[in-house]
Amino acid sequence: MNLVEALEIFKQALPEDAHPLRTFLACGFTPLHLQTFLAAHLRKRLPKQRVEVKTGLFGDLAGSIERLQTSECDILAVVIEWQDLDPRLGIRSLGGWRTTDLPDILKSANQAAARLDQALRRTSEFMPVCICLPTLPLPPLFTTPTRQAGDYELQLRQLVASFAASISSGSSIRVLNAQRLDELSPAQARLDVQSDLMAGFPYKLPHASAIAELLAALIQNPTPKKGLITDLDNTLWAGILGEVGTDGISWDLDQHAHMHGLYQQFLGSLASAGVLIAIASKNDPALVEKAFERKDLILPKESVYPFEVHWSRKSESVQRILKTWNIGPEAVVFIDDSPMEVAEVKAAFPETECIVFPTNDYQGIWNLLKRMRDLFGKSVISEEDSIRLKSIRGAGVLRESLDATGGSFDDFLQSADASIRFTFGKQAADNRAFELINKTNQFNLNGKRLTDAAWKTYLNDPATFVMAASYEDKFGPLGKIAVLLGRIQGKSLRIDSWVMSCRAFSRRIEHQSLKQLFEKFDAEEIGFDYQPTPRNGPLQEFFTELLGSPLTADMRLSRAAFSEKSPSLFHRVEEAVNG
Amino acid sequence: MDEMETRLARCFSSVFPELTAEQIPSASMDSVPAWDSLAAVTLVAVLQEEFGLQIDLIDLPELVSFVAVQNYVRKHKAVS
Repeated sequence: MNLVEALEIFKQALPEDAHPLRTFLACGFTPLHLQTFLAAHLRKRLPKQRVEVKTGLFGDLAGSIERLQTSECDILAVVIEWQDLDPRLGIRSLGGWRTTDLPDILKSANQAAARLDQALRRTSEFMPVCICLPTLPLPPLFTTPTRQAGDYELQLRQLVASFAASISSGSSIRVLNAQRLDELSPAQARLDVQSDLMAGFPYKLPHASAIAELLAALIQNPTPKKGLITDLDNTLWAGILGEVGTDGISWDLDQHAHMHGLYQQFLGSLASAGVLIAIASKNDPALVEKAFERKDLILPKESVYPFEVHWSRKSESVQRILKTWNIGPEAVVFIDDSPMEVAEVKAAFPETECIVFPTNDYQGIWNLLKRMRDLFGKSVISEEDSIRLKSIRGAGVLRESLDATGGSFDDFLQSADASIRFTFGKQAADNRAFELINKTNQFNLNGKRLTDAAWKTYLNDPATFVMAASYEDKFGPLGKIAVLLGRIQGKSLRIDSWVMSCRAFSRRIEHQSLKQLFEKFDAEEIGFDYQPTPRNGPLQEFFTELLGSPLTADMRLSRAAFSEKSPSLFHRVEEAVNG
Repeated sequence: MDEMETRLARCFSSVFPELTAEQIPSASMDSVPAWDSLAAVTLVAVLQEEFGLQIDLIDLPELVSFVAVQNYVRKHKAVS
């Protein structure tokens, strides 16, 4: 994006109901075009939000962060340059580059980093923080020739790396990836000496745009995809299974098929981080089963579910996989080496990201792996991520068991040996609760999403409570699957948000949750901030059955009415303050 | 309006969106309240992008009106 394009973006009209996104840009230099680019990139990514980018006092980075009023903004973007650690590491200062100055520069840089560390951690308790570490070249102040890294230079770089590693452990702090920035902005095309000296703005325009582009992506933090559906022949492995047999397919260096091995290894990595992996292949099922018995397969069979192996259309396979996973087509990626298959699936599911696997194109596969990391990457891997596949398999077994028993649903639930653990802790670091609120569609009271800042404000409000539910039965654990946000108003409760994962349907967890609320708070009535959405049909069905009347925006449920309508509940219930 | 003047007007419109097409040819630092030192630096950056010029910031005090900028660009485009 060039500067004219950035400026032109602000001329585009905003929707009337645009929500504000107040970003504070903290940097030690005159923010000038960086501020323009950041606002423009944010506007481009978030066209329905009213983007504001405010800045602080130039030349005092740590001070700007320390003075920041948390009520003034929703998110903090910090751009650190070497001169923020010590002015002598920039070119606007003439404080001295003598060899005797170097120890003192290192010492003051350490002190500045410690001060920044403290200020950033404190701010991150109230809002998300996105940080860009120094991107400009260090000036030629060291005694070694520029081809050789000097001792003090290495110590300064180590200081920044340690600072970044330490600070990024905070769940609300995201550090911009220097390797990605290197790809977008070459090191030799970053510093604008004249602009730095005459206008106090050290970046060449393309570099400012590159930093802003990545910061905007960090701020937006898009929802990662949940599942990947892959083809087998010439995709997961090299060769056509039906032609070369199980011993003829390959994914190793010897057979020049190593990129398929890398692809398998990558899918294994995704699966270990909670991404669902399924197979959609036009193949002989018996042969595929045999192929997956090969001990040298890098992606183990246990990491894949379900397998759709037959000769029908791929879009039918995708349809069934989506049903098994119970997620929408927009949440998955489909990969196949055949452009025709990709086009067929894309036509059936336009929202799905459909990618042609670039067989025999080494660089193409490498680029594909990087693209997929962007599509699936997430900041934190939760306990629920690690058990997701197990719980989906469990749900399949549950459905089959229910069909097989032929008994009543009550009998079935009673034999499920289910337990629910309710927790009432208000922890900002509970990423799973926050994630559920922002991604659940079907059982969702009103479809309202929360920004990081709004989530933290809610938690800090003494009048509010957060109830989360974790579920387990004999078919396996589901992990934390429901979150309810509310406030106590005497003998009444007001529920602001209630979401439950679709994996947890048909277990009466929603009934048990209400029962728990009435008992825990000794409430006589619960009011709900209900709004219909295009996708919250399951929640509407639940309430329609429970209330026996049309749903309204301020619907209420009395304890007596609930007791009368609630079906039998068989769960063992535990309660905890935190967890 | 020739092609160069049209491109210049587009630059002004980007930096000073409140100006109408009719106001741009007579725009100056005195007549446009938003034309402060930061806007001047932004205008120079936009001109550099649009015309591929390397404008020395020392020349900034010369660039005080649309007409002055137009003359500056004509002169330096001719040289480059």
